[in-house]
Amino acid sequence: MAAAKLAISSTYTYTEVFSTPCGAVYQSDREGCWYIDFAGKLVRFDYRSLLKLKKSIYRVDIEQLLLDTSKSPEIELVFICACNHCYLLNLLQIISLKQLLEGTFAMLELNQIIHDRLYRTVV
Amino acid sequence: MKDIMRIKCLLSEDIESLLNQQIKKEAHSSSLYLAMASWCNRNGFDYSSEYFFKQSDEERYHQLKLYKYVLDMGGTAISPEINNIKQEFNSFREVFEDALEQEVAITQSFKNIAAACMREQDFVTFEFLNWFMKEQREEEYKARRALELFEVIGEEGTGRWEIDKHVNKIKYDSETAGE
Repeated sequence: MAAAKLAISSTYTYTEVFSTPCGAVYQSDREGCWYIDFAGKLVRFDYRSLLKLKKSIYRVDIEQLLLDTSKSPEIELVFICACNHCYLLNLLQIISLKQLLEGTFAMLELNQIIHDRLYRTVV
Repeated sequence: MKDIMRIKCLLSEDIESLLNQQIKKEAHSSSLYLAMASWCNRNGFDYSSEYFFKQSDEERYHQLKLYKYVLDMGGTAISPEINNIKQEFNSFREVFEDALEQEVAITQSFKNIAAACMREQDFVTFEFLNWFMKEQREEEYKARRALELFEVIGEEGTGRWEIDKHVNKIKYDSETAGE
């Protein structure tokens, strides 16, 4: 996997998992967590929080929001239990975050396959 | 890049979700058997009531076994919400018909999870499911045998009284039954 090493802080290094023009996800091997750079902020997610974020974003019915003719603003509050941060996103941002997460999980899955095939083979 | 996902959890999202659905089904079975125990007790079928109380306990045990497995593997076990439990039955026989139907549905559900494990090559969970497969053999046997008592003894006269007395004696002692 192409691993662009970025130095977000001076202490640890972070590997870019996936990025789009709207944001990026980095993994910290040392801390065992991910950082999502999206909507103007950088937020730390552990394993469970990342899965919860994925679930809550995937659950948003984008089609229904698009077809909604009421005058209410197309804004969604994404709040994750046991996480200090929340996202207040408009429709386009939700679509972007969904793309970012889909790419991220595809890459993490690919990473797992690579580990299984290359490093976990007992000789 | 480390494979943090795999380090934290052995189960894939799909298998975890299927196991959580199964936890809910077991909890539903446990509650359904409790309702059956209540109906039998209210209608004077003491032995059958006792039989369903035991069955309810067993289903609860199955639920916990699955629940702990999900947690042991690093997954998130979800405590299920149970509703729409059938409380009234039209006849003594219907109780046992429903019990068999429930066991058949549970067996089918385990088969689906096992098929998913095979697809994903999750042999760890597949091996864990073997215990339940064996258990379902016994559960289905007992439910089928109970229903057969209605044919063998018949419901006329003191038939239902006889059936009630025999229900609690049903045992599955096939030498291949294991534990």
